[in-house]
Amino acid sequence: MRRSLASNILLAFSITFLVLLIGLPFWWVLSGSFKLPQEIIARVPTMFPHSFTLQHFGKLLSGSDYPVYMANSLIVAGLSTVITLVLAVPAAYAFFRLAFPGREMLYRAILLAYAFPSIVVLIPLFGMFARIGLIDTLAALVIINVTFALPFSIWMLRSFFASVPKEIEEAAVMDGAPPTVILRRIMIPLVTPGIASVGIFAFISAWTEYVFASVLIVSDARRTVPVGFSGIIGQYQIDWGLLLAGAGLAVLPVVILFALVGRWFVSGLTEGAVK
Amino acid sequence: MAELQIRGLRKAFGDTEVISNVDLTVKDGEFVVFVGPSGCGKSTLLRMIAGLETATAGNISIDGRDVSNADPSKRGIAMVFQTYALYPHMTVEENMGFGLEMSGVPSAERKRLVRKAAETLHLEPYLARKPRQLSGGQRQRVAIGRAIVRDPKIFLFDEPLSNLDAELRVRMRIEIAKLHSDLGATMIYVTHDQVEAMTLASRIVVLRDGRIEQVGTPMELYNDPDNRFVAGFIGSPKMNFVPVRVKGRTESGAVKLEVEALGLKDFAILPRNPSAPIEGSIFLGIRPEHFEPAGTAGGATVRLPVGAIEHLGGISYAYSDPGQETSLAAEIRGMPDLKAGSEVTLTVRPQTCLLFSQSGERL
Repeated sequence: MRRSLASNILLAFSITFLVLLIGLPFWWVLSGSFKLPQEIIARVPTMFPHSFTLQHFGKLLSGSDYPVYMANSLIVAGLSTVITLVLAVPAAYAFFRLAFPGREMLYRAILLAYAFPSIVVLIPLFGMFARIGLIDTLAALVIINVTFALPFSIWMLRSFFASVPKEIEEAAVMDGAPPTVILRRIMIPLVTPGIASVGIFAFISAWTEYVFASVLIVSDARRTVPVGFSGIIGQYQIDWGLLLAGAGLAVLPVVILFALVGRWFVSGLTEGAVK
Repeated sequence: MAELQIRGLRKAFGDTEVISNVDLTVKDGEFVVFVGPSGCGKSTLLRMIAGLETATAGNISIDGRDVSNADPSKRGIAMVFQTYALYPHMTVEENMGFGLEMSGVPSAERKRLVRKAAETLHLEPYLARKPRQLSGGQRQRVAIGRAIVRDPKIFLFDEPLSNLDAELRVRMRIEIAKLHSDLGATMIYVTHDQVEAMTLASRIVVLRDGRIEQVGTPMELYNDPDNRFVAGFIGSPKMNFVPVRVKGRTESGAVKLEVEALGLKDFAILPRNPSAPIEGSIFLGIRPEHFEPAGTAGGATVRLPVGAIEHLGGISYAYSDPGQETSLAAEIRGMPDLKAGSEVTLTVRPQTCLLFSQSGERL
């Protein structure tokens, strides 16, 4: 396909605009976290740092509870992601494959979880968790995160399952594979892009979750990054260097995760199977 | 050794019956082809034999054992899908060995059987490749190989060649025929392509609207069709159906016809059943290849206007009134200079013609 010069320029301009829009704040955070405090608050902001220091990171990691928050967040987000996947994959396959009465109803009903703003369910959930003694535990956050990530994950994975040609499953049936083997050996490998997407979605929602983490967790030692970090800011007034260093570090696990699972986002994984 | 018996088989989706009361026996080692227009139920029937669709009524038995409710993998059959349905994330070797693995064949034995099948299909160089690294023909071979390694009693093929280009289709057709004679296995093959049906089948089953119209060898169906549908479906180009008027009977039982379209006043044809009453308006069936050169002994001379002509080299097809329902097609040899707008003189011999009633039954 040949494009005219004008449309090429337009495309290049759009891409540049988007990259700047998304990239600049990141650059600002990242470069700022290495600047000396006086440069950060300088009247004329510097695009490229004139100074270099690791003092903000040093203060963050040794002088605050940030490492504890980070560990808590990693535990909560990691466990939430794993449990979400372990539950969503078979559930989505069941919704896709098994014919049972009320399937479509149930399938739509699970999305009702998103009908209510989290603040609305916060109080009843707090009451329930208080009764079973889950307040101030990381388990409470894991349960909440899984509950909210599951419906969308199931919904998304089902459409990934649906994109696998029916004949592949039928061929496996003819080969004598029982449903569990079909799921494990045939279907899961074919929907890895979907599993990767769902995994990233579950991780990021757990990683950034604030409302429940701020209410269900009481003690400082069990706080996750979003909540704990907001405390750090208040504690030291506004220490911009510390804020930027903390924000930069908070992004790191997500970036690493993207780098790790990115290679699974291979399009056309079923290419060669049919036709 | 495998004989397939189908008795009173029915399949309905809600109120829509897609297979109605099918009875069929496929003998051991036979190559049976299900043929018919799209939506005739041929693929559904095959999938019911495979066990991928459940029957509403009736039963299917293989070697005398009722398998109507048996699991697909327990029926001793293997299926080759139209879309190949290879496992894209597995190598050719894993694809072919998966069924064996599922039935608990040990790894070393599995390897040996896969190698053997790969040898038969000339797939040895590709065993370590993934399906996406193969050409269409190679993928189809892997799909066939996956069926062969399991040493099934019956092979099922669901339009296996329709995704291939014309040249490859002919090559694979010959390979499948060779495979059948090498393995001596019972094979059931679904296609809408009557050339595949004619060339591969020991017997053809013609289906329409979920019913069997006729079962017979390719030549039986070609020479002696039971009805207008089968007559029109087998043979290419299609048989001509000319409306005719019955004038009476001869002493030998032949029907005397007036064929206005061909300018014949007194054309006598012996019907299938000489004693059956035949009168009024009926149809005369003439295959395009049964228009013979002028002067052929024992025939009636007809003059056909040439509305359009297609020269294919050795033969030509003349169409009397292209685009019209009443247009006649004739195969003509040795007249490469024939032009549209002219007229051609040909011979029609009564013994090559068939008679059909208004409702399409053979008379």
